[in-house]
Amino acid sequence: MRALHTAATGMQAQELNVQVISNNIANMRTTGYKRQRAEFQDLLYEHVSRIGTQTSSQGNILPVGIDLGSGVKTVGTPRLMTQGTLSATGGTLDVAIRGDGFFKVQLPDGTYAYTRDGSFQMDAQGRIVTAQGNVVQPAITIPQNATGLTINSQGQVSVTPQGTTTPTVLGQLTLTRFVNQAGLLAVGDNNFLETPASGAPQDGLPSTDGAGDLQQGNLEQANVEAVSEMTDLIAAQRAYEMNGKVITAADQMLSTTSNLMR
Amino acid sequence: MQNAQLVGLSRQVALGRELDVVANNIANLNTTGFKADGSLFEEYLASAARADQSHARVSFVRDRGTWHDMSSGPLEKTGNPLDVAVDGSGFLVVQTPRGERYTRNGALQINATGQLVTSDGDQVLGDSGPITFQPTDNQISISRDGTISVREGTSKVDSARGVLKLVSFSSAQQLQKDGSSTFATSADAQPQPDKKSTLVQGAIEKSNVRGVVEMSRMIEITRSYTEIAALLKQQDDQSQSAISKLAEVPN
Repeated sequence: MRALHTAATGMQAQELNVQVISNNIANMRTTGYKRQRAEFQDLLYEHVSRIGTQTSSQGNILPVGIDLGSGVKTVGTPRLMTQGTLSATGGTLDVAIRGDGFFKVQLPDGTYAYTRDGSFQMDAQGRIVTAQGNVVQPAITIPQNATGLTINSQGQVSVTPQGTTTPTVLGQLTLTRFVNQAGLLAVGDNNFLETPASGAPQDGLPSTDGAGDLQQGNLEQANVEAVSEMTDLIAAQRAYEMNGKVITAADQMLSTTSNLMR
Repeated sequence: MQNAQLVGLSRQVALGRELDVVANNIANLNTTGFKADGSLFEEYLASAARADQSHARVSFVRDRGTWHDMSSGPLEKTGNPLDVAVDGSGFLVVQTPRGERYTRNGALQINATGQLVTSDGDQVLGDSGPITFQPTDNQISISRDGTISVREGTSKVDSARGVLKLVSFSSAQQLQKDGSSTFATSADAQPQPDKKSTLVQGAIEKSNVRGVVEMSRMIEITRSYTEIAALLKQQDDQSQSAISKLAEVPN
């Protein structure tokens, strides 16, 4: 009985759906997290009798055919790259991106990763690093006993050296854009890697060429909305239950059939 | 005598098919842009075995077809600029390796070369071919008539990127489901430009499967299946007792 397998694909799909939703909810308070959504499509159809076939030599054609579907498949879990809300933290090295773009950070193996998490720190050499200690590119070293660190919306990092009153510019933060942000590969630690689907990274300055501007003293919250996740979770759970009922029904019908025989 | 069992069997085969359709609907309860299917049955009259028994014709059940419920599914607001829902009876046009296909699934993406594609990676067609975005484009907006405009770089004025093609069918019932939330045309369903449907950006159309309806159909299916089985059993008992009674040979 095909219904058994069809319902099984439905249960598998809803299980994955709940997995995606639970990851979104778990990351509700993760800085720079972008929520995912499970996308489903129907599977192939068996055309038992094809629409439009001729039923008589007078040219009568079948107005409806018999199409039996074989269930559902997961086609992807794309990330929704919408802007998260900014929350003011007051931290001088907290930077949020308002608009498109990613910070470029260097991983320990020398390759680059991209992140929206701007909760930066300073390492022992005074470089601006992420919470994992990855150096933010281009590397900017903040001299000791400098005061008044500011990062303006164009990404210029400046400090006021001790004994002077005029700020000096230390460097320029860049932002990287991708044609298809949803095609980036999430690797954990709030980092994304370039893939063939994302397109080549395009480094640029904040506030130019479509990249967003920077907001010092703010962090970008996750773009997860609790209400929509909860309703999605309810819908997924109910759909899972209903698919389970279909399996029970198919099972009952099979047992009815087998009980015919004594 | 055999007829009763064959009639019961025809009903059971049809019910098995109907459960397959219901199972597919329920499996696609959360599939974007999915349209539910229903089953159609018809009576098949067998000619009478003997000419003088014209009143005693036997009617079998036959499943004649599945129809598509083309009503709109509920709109879910997602806030994602690349999600579009079709308000009306129109379809988006998708270029697949198998040819042009039509879909109501408006969860769109951009691929590595900047083209507007479906989740499967198939190009979504505009009035003049695929729609391509430039690397510096931002603030994508899709108007109700399908016009896609963006802000290029730091520009303050909109630049157009194309108009999404919307088509409709005079007889949408003739469309054939082709998997991957797409429909294919048949001889009787040719696409016409759709000027009535509008697009809603930032929303997707959920599946139009109604859980309650499908569950009650399923209960009905299993109940009638059991009833038919009881009937078959009765027939079986009858023929068995007939055999044992009639075969009694007096000593």
